[in-house]
Amino acid sequence: MRSAAATARGATRRVPPDLLRLAPALLVTTLLFGGALLGALKQSVEPPLGGGPSTWSLASWRAVFADPTFLDALWFSIRLAVISSLAAALIALVLATLLRSRGPALKTTFSLPVTVPHLIVAVLAVAWLAPGGIAERALGSLPIGVVHAQSGLGIVLVYVYKETPFLVLLLLSVMGRTLRRREEASAVLGASPSQVLRWVVWPAVRRPLAVGSMIVGAFVLGAFEVPLVLGPNYPPTLATYAYQATQTSPLSGQGKAAASLLVAAAAAIALGLAALALARTEDG
Amino acid sequence: MEARSAPLGGLGCRGLVAAPGGSPVLRGVDLDVPAGTRTVLVGPSGAGKTTLLRAICGLQAIEAGSIELGGRRIDRLPAYRRRCAVVFQEPRLLPHLDVGENVAFALRAAGARRAERRARARALLTEVGLDGFERRAADRLSGGEQQRVSLARALCAEPDILLLDEPISAVDANRREELRELIARLQGERGLTTLFVTHDRAEAAQMGERVALMLEGRIVQEDEPAALFQRPASPVVARFFGSANVLRGQVRDGRMSLGGVEVPVPGPDGEACVTIRPERVRLDPAGPLELRVGEAAYTGTWVRLRLRGEGLGLEAMVPPSQAPAAGELVGVALPLEEIWRIPDFEAVPEEGRRAGVRPRGGS
Repeated sequence: MRSAAATARGATRRVPPDLLRLAPALLVTTLLFGGALLGALKQSVEPPLGGGPSTWSLASWRAVFADPTFLDALWFSIRLAVISSLAAALIALVLATLLRSRGPALKTTFSLPVTVPHLIVAVLAVAWLAPGGIAERALGSLPIGVVHAQSGLGIVLVYVYKETPFLVLLLLSVMGRTLRRREEASAVLGASPSQVLRWVVWPAVRRPLAVGSMIVGAFVLGAFEVPLVLGPNYPPTLATYAYQATQTSPLSGQGKAAASLLVAAAAAIALGLAALALARTEDG
Repeated sequence: MEARSAPLGGLGCRGLVAAPGGSPVLRGVDLDVPAGTRTVLVGPSGAGKTTLLRAICGLQAIEAGSIELGGRRIDRLPAYRRRCAVVFQEPRLLPHLDVGENVAFALRAAGARRAERRARARALLTEVGLDGFERRAADRLSGGEQQRVSLARALCAEPDILLLDEPISAVDANRREELRELIARLQGERGLTTLFVTHDRAEAAQMGERVALMLEGRIVQEDEPAALFQRPASPVVARFFGSANVLRGQVRDGRMSLGGVEVPVPGPDGEACVTIRPERVRLDPAGPLELRVGEAAYTGTWVRLRLRGEGLGLEAMVPPSQAPAAGELVGVALPLEEIWRIPDFEAVPEEGRRAGVRPRGGS
């Protein structure tokens, strides 16, 4: 007869470790995401088709980092990503708090922008907010320039409009009945509304909020259609920089484009890790 | 009518009306929980028990009435100022805090330092049988353990009243008895004013020093547990507490005919309603009634018999060793001292009218 300890050990062995249970998802992600990254890495170091070095080199990387336009684009892209995701997160937090006890109709209405493509929102923004656009004709003049503004305001507004509902949906999914019940339990134990907010609600929402903001930031860093439509002539974003590199020099620009997009990916990963570190579960 | 005040130091609810979601659930609830006692609020699902508990602790707004606790009126205070601690049906622990911090949550809200919180949590966890659990993750515990943590957390708040909303119903059957005993012991040791909600009449009888039955948003009877079982105030109370034997007839000269057997019934002559608990119905070959066993159902401890006579239906609970088979004719005796005249029988439904029982050997 097996001892109780042996039975317990057997039971422990039957439970697969977390990594094993995640294996199918990790495999797909590694193949799709890792494969794309490896492809870009290869393109950034392989000999250019239009002449130059005939062996693998870091020429494209050196060219990119020597280009002041690239450095401006990098800073501009990071700024846009951080501002867009922070603004969307803040507004989403307020909206989700207001919407959590409302009916499904209102929640659905607020989540509708998720279904509208970014490009359509960008084009509508131009139609409404560009100089001579619908808003200016209706109001006479606009107090601030939005379309092609040097600050990137138009880009930020479109991303905030588009990504806030996405974050609201994420937050509402954790602000349901379970969280409400925990808030009630805390209140009857003597926790004031502000203590409930700090010790019950915030710990529950900060992780999905950070993960959602990380996704928004990564998307903003890599997307190019909205900056192309609404962004200033200079500086470009990293994605538009890469796009322009392939347009101005279709053959030799491939390496520069790949290098700049890899930098964008690295920045997205760094921002994501920072967001997760901030949201790490801790006491209080 | 003289207005009652709350029992000294205890809980007093007067005329509570509440309508969560717009539909009236509490329809004028009066309830007293004397200080230091354990009162059980029992009733079927949908009676308004949980709504009453939520109204007392401030999670449900009331439309009328008043609530006093420990001599102060609390119905206008927010939940966090009422000094009521609640153990809910589900533990509602905070998953981002360890067990110790969950237990000491009320102390944290009161501004206590970490060392003090830890020491208090450790002591309370020992009391609830979870010694050494303070550093564990709250969401990794079993249901019964989580409910013990929830109980320790409520005790840590040192409340003026402890409210328990069916705290055992989600725990597996083997652990329920332990948890009941634990709650009763801790309440008794602390002399804590306690209101325990359940839909289970056996649990109500076991846990309550007093029991209040709630039906359709009102307290219909409040008394000692034995009184509710043996001296129900109305047929619905009798039925809720397990007596299906609600018999109606005429009292003449202080006697009422039950199945042709004249039994003395106290009170005035006229229409009356009496009840006898199924476990008091005695199978006796020499008994004055002869009834047929319509159904014999084993319930785990007893066998429930449905006995049928001409125009008569009785229910009896007998030990399995004495249970006759379905279809048998049995002699039945109704001990006179166990027959209770129900004071309020106006609402007796038609099926309760079961007079005209054929006596053994009668015409």
